[in-house]
Amino acid sequence: MAKRKGMDRRQFVTTTGAAAAAAVLGPTIWVKQQQKTLKIIQWSHFVPAYDAWFDKYAKDWGTAKGVEVTVDHISLADLTTRANAEVAAQQGHDLFQFLSPPGAFEPQVLDMADVVKEAERQHGPLVDLCKRSTYNPVTRKWFGFSDNYVPDPGDYLKSVWTELGKPDGPATWEDLVTAGPQIKAKHPEIQIPIGIGMSQELDTNMATRAMLWSHDGSIQDANENVVLKSDQALEALNFAKRLFAAGMNPAVLSWNAASNNQALNARQTSYILNSISAYRTAQDNKLPVADDIFFVPALKGPRGTGWASEHVMGIYAIWKFAQSPDVAKQFLLDLVAHYRDAVMGSKLYNFPAYPGSLADSGTPLAQKPAAGNRWLEQATANDPFGSNPPTKLRPIATALQWATNIGHPGPANPAESEVFDTFVLPTMFANAATGRMTPAQALDDGHQQVKRIFEKWRAKGLVAGGAGDRA
Amino acid sequence: MIPPRSFADREDLLGVAMLAPALGYVLLLVGVPFVLAIVLSFSTATAGSLSFGWAGFANYAAILSDPIFRRALGNTAIVTIGSQVLVVVLATAAAQVFRAAFHGKRTARFVLLLPWAVPVSLAAIAWTWIFDSTFSVINWTLKVGGLLHGWLYWLGDPALALVAIIIVQAWRIFPFATVIVLAGLASLPQDVMEAAIVDGAGFWRRLFYVELPLLLPVVAVAVLFGVVYTATDLGVVYILTGGGPANTTHVLPTLAFQRGIQGADLGQGAAIAVFLLPFLIVVATLMLRLARHTEVGST
Amino acid sequence: MKRVALYAAALGFMAFAGFPFYWMLITAFKQNRDLYVGAFDTRHVPWIFNDPPTLEHVRLLFGQTDFLRWIANTLIVVVAVVVITVAVAVPAGYSLARLTGRWGERLGIGIFFTYLIPPTLLFIPFARLVALLGLQNSLGALILIYPTITIPFCTWLVMGFLRSVPWDIEEQAMIDGYSRLAVIVKVVPRLIVPGILTVVVFSFTLVLQEFVYALTFISSVDRMTVSLGVPIALVRGDVYHWGALMAAALFTSIPLAIVYNLFIDRFIQGFTLGAVKG
Repeated sequence: MAKRKGMDRRQFVTTTGAAAAAAVLGPTIWVKQQQKTLKIIQWSHFVPAYDAWFDKYAKDWGTAKGVEVTVDHISLADLTTRANAEVAAQQGHDLFQFLSPPGAFEPQVLDMADVVKEAERQHGPLVDLCKRSTYNPVTRKWFGFSDNYVPDPGDYLKSVWTELGKPDGPATWEDLVTAGPQIKAKHPEIQIPIGIGMSQELDTNMATRAMLWSHDGSIQDANENVVLKSDQALEALNFAKRLFAAGMNPAVLSWNAASNNQALNARQTSYILNSISAYRTAQDNKLPVADDIFFVPALKGPRGTGWASEHVMGIYAIWKFAQSPDVAKQFLLDLVAHYRDAVMGSKLYNFPAYPGSLADSGTPLAQKPAAGNRWLEQATANDPFGSNPPTKLRPIATALQWATNIGHPGPANPAESEVFDTFVLPTMFANAATGRMTPAQALDDGHQQVKRIFEKWRAKGLVAGGAGDRA
Repeated sequence: MIPPRSFADREDLLGVAMLAPALGYVLLLVGVPFVLAIVLSFSTATAGSLSFGWAGFANYAAILSDPIFRRALGNTAIVTIGSQVLVVVLATAAAQVFRAAFHGKRTARFVLLLPWAVPVSLAAIAWTWIFDSTFSVINWTLKVGGLLHGWLYWLGDPALALVAIIIVQAWRIFPFATVIVLAGLASLPQDVMEAAIVDGAGFWRRLFYVELPLLLPVVAVAVLFGVVYTATDLGVVYILTGGGPANTTHVLPTLAFQRGIQGADLGQGAAIAVFLLPFLIVVATLMLRLARHTEVGST
Repeated sequence: MKRVALYAAALGFMAFAGFPFYWMLITAFKQNRDLYVGAFDTRHVPWIFNDPPTLEHVRLLFGQTDFLRWIANTLIVVVAVVVITVAVAVPAGYSLARLTGRWGERLGIGIFFTYLIPPTLLFIPFARLVALLGLQNSLGALILIYPTITIPFCTWLVMGFLRSVPWDIEEQAMIDGYSRLAVIVKVVPRLIVPGILTVVVFSFTLVLQEFVYALTFISSVDRMTVSLGVPIALVRGDVYHWGALMAAALFTSIPLAIVYNLFIDRFIQGFTLGAVKG
C-alpha cells in the first residue's frame, strides 16, 4: 500500500475515488432504452442442463420478438431474500420464479387470471395441484402462474431391496420400518438404512408432509381450518418414532437438501424421498451406483392413502411494479407452448402444469390432456438419457395420482407457506422421533404454532377458515 | 502557544470539519435505516405488503413468550462467550509462540492467517463437510486413531452442534486476535519488561503478573471485535445448522432471518434482531472501559 | 527443551488453523468418486488421493462460472471502500482524539455503537434506499453501503490508537511554527501508519467476507462479488460442487493470506515505533 505525504495523498484519494465511482456507477446511468426488455429471475435448476436449455430458449425467443431478455439464476434458498429486497425496493425483475407457493407476496403481484385462461384455452386444463398452489379462493386471485411441478418419488437401491425380497422397492411406509433392521443386519456398512431427513430443510418438509398425509392427517382442511391436532397426526408421529428407531440415526438431524443425495450416491442409505436430480447427478458423475437406483411412487399409509408433495413447483409471479408485464405474460404463454422441450431439457425433471401442452400440435383441444399424458408416459418408459434399463423412470409417470400441493387438501395460502418456510413440521417430527418430546406434546406444540401463524394471516384477509379450527 | 488566528489553526472548526463526513455518513446511512428498522419491529409488516400496520408491542410479546426465542437468546450468549474465551486463550498462547524467532516462522504465520483470509461463507461450507455425519474427516481420523468408538453426530446433536459452531467461530477469529495481541506485546514498555527479568521473575510469572495485565486493553479490543463479529454473524450458523436440529441452535440473527425473511413476518424478524442490541451494548461498554487504560505516555 | 516445546506449539497452531485448508486442497483436485465415500469405511483414507487427481473442478470454476469476473468486481469494491473508509474514518478518528475533547469522546463511542447494529436488521431499509438512488443491482450499492460497516469501527479504532500515540511530536511541530492544519497534513500521517494499516486490513476483510448485503443488492451473476457468486453458482441447493467450491476458497484465500503476511510485520513495527516514543 503506497504511503504518500499529506497533499499528494488527498489528490490520490480524490482522483481514485472519482474514477472508481465513474467506472462503477456509470453502467447504471443508462440513457432510457428504446428496446423492450424482459428480466427474469429463477432458481439454479437442480438439473443444470435445464438452465443451459432455458437460457438459450429465452435468448432465442427474445431475438425473434425483438426483446432483450436477461435471465438471472440464484440458488433456491436465496430466492425469498431476493424477493424481499425487490419488494422493499419496489424495483426488480419482471418475472420472478418461486419454487413454492409465494402466498405472502400476493399483495405485490399481478393477478394472472388472464394468462391462465389463455393457457387453458390453448392446451386444456391446468393440473389441479397447480391450481391449488396458485389460486387464492379467499381473494379470488391467481397470484402466480405455474408452468411445472416436480414429483417426489422414492429412490431406492435395487440390489439391497432385492435381498429383502422386494425387488420393486417398498410400497408402504410400514415396509420401511420392517426393512430397517433387516438392512442393518445384512449391510452394516450402510450407515443410515432409511434416508429420511429430520432437519430444517426442503426434503424433510416434503417427507414429513408425505408421512402426515399418508396417515390421513393434514395441517388444514379443504376450507383452511387448522386441523393438525388429530388422531391421525398422532398416528403419523408415532410411526415416525418407530421409523427413526428402526432405520435412522441422529445423522439425519443435521441434513441439508443435498445430504440425502450424497448419502444415496455414496451407498450410505438405501431409500430416500427425492426428485430425480440425485439420480441424474449420479449419472453425470458416472458413479456405479446410478445403475442401482430405481424409483417407486408415494408410499401408502395404514389405510391405503398414498400422497407425496410436489418436490418443487415452478411458479412465476409478475410484480405489480414490473416494467414489462405484457411481454412477461407473452413469454409465459410461449414457454408453455414449448413445454416438450422444457421437459426434455430438464431430463424429465419438470412435469407440465398443462399436460395438454405436451400433445402433438394437431390434436383437438378436448383430447390434448390425455395425449399429453400419453407422451409423458412414453418418455418415462423409455428414458432418452441413458438409464439402464430405459424403463426405470416409469413409476414417476403416475405422479398425478399421488402428487399433491402444499396445503393439501386445501389450497396453498400464505399461512401454509409460512408453516413451510419456518419448518414447523420437520421440527415437530424431529422432536417426536428423537424423544425430545412425547408425540402428543410435539403435536400440541406444532398445532399451537400453526394456529398462531394462521390467525396472523387471517387478520390480513388472505386466509379463510377459523370457525373449524381444532382447539 | 501562538494564539489561533486563521482557520488552519482553529482547532474546534478543524475538529468539526474532519468529523463531519463520518458523522454525516453514519447519521444518514445508518441512523435513518436503523430508526426505520426499529419502527418495523412495532409493525405488522410482512414481506408482501409495504403497508405499515401498528402492532404495538405485539411482536415483542410474541417472541418473549416463545421458547425458541429464549433458546436463541441463550445460544447467542453461549456461542459468543464460548468462542471468545477460546479465542483469548488461543490468541495469547499463539502470540507467545509467534513473537519468538524460529525456522519456518514465515510459513507458519501464513498458515495461521488463512482462516482469517478465506471468505466466511466458503469456510463454513467446507466445515459442513468436515462435520458431516456421514463424511466427517474428523470422525474418520478419531476412529482410525482409536479414540472414537461410537460416532459423533456433530450437527445433528444440539449440544455437539453448538460445540461445532463455537469451534468454527474461534477458528476464524483467533488469527486476527493473535495479530492484535502480537502488536500489543510489541508495544509493551521495554523498561517494565526488563525490570521484571532483572527482578528474577520466570516466564510464567512474567506472563501472568506483568504481561497480561498490561495487555488487558489490547486483549479487550480484540475481544470486543470478536464479540461483535460472532454475535451478529448469520453465515456460520446458517450454513452449518440452519438453526437446527429442531430449532435448537438458533442464534438471534438466524432466527430473525428465518422468521422475518423466510417466514415473511418482517415485524417479528425486526423485533428479534433488535434484541441483539442490549447484549452488544453491554459487552461493548464493558470492553471499552477496559480499553480505556490504553494511555501510553501522556494525554 | 524450550525450543522443542516452541516448535511443537507452532505446529499445533498450524495444524488447527490449517487442516481445513489441507482438506480443501485435496478436495479441489479429487475425483467425485473419491470424495463421496462414507467416513464409516475406515479402509478408505480421505486425506489422500485414492484416485488420480483431476483438474475438472478447477476447469469448472474458471471455465463455467464467472469466477474471474467476481474477483475483479470484489477488487473494485474493496479498493473503493477502503479508500472511502480511510478518507472518512482517519480524519474523524483524529478529530475525536485530539480536537474535540470530552464531547468528542462520547460521540466517538456513539459512532462506534452504530457498528453494533446487525445487518439482518438493516438490509430491508437499505434495499429501499438503494432503489431510491437507482443503484439497484450495481457495485455502486455495495460501495455506498459497505462503509456503514467499516467507518464506525475504524473511526473508533483510529481514535483509540491515537490516544496512545504521544502528543509530543505534534506539539513540537506547532512550537516550531506549523499551523494546526499543516501539522495534521504533514506530520501526523507518518505517526499513524499502523492505525491506517489496521483500517485498511479491517475494511478489506469485512468487504471480502460480506454476504447478506451483496445478496440483497446484486442479482446479476456478472456483477457479483466472490463471497456471493461462488456459493450461488456452485451450491445448487441439491448438489454441492465441492471440488469447485474448495478450489474457489483456496484461490481466494491464499493470495490474501500472503498479502496479510506481508503487512503484519509493518503493522507490528509501527506499533513498536509508537510505543518506544513513550
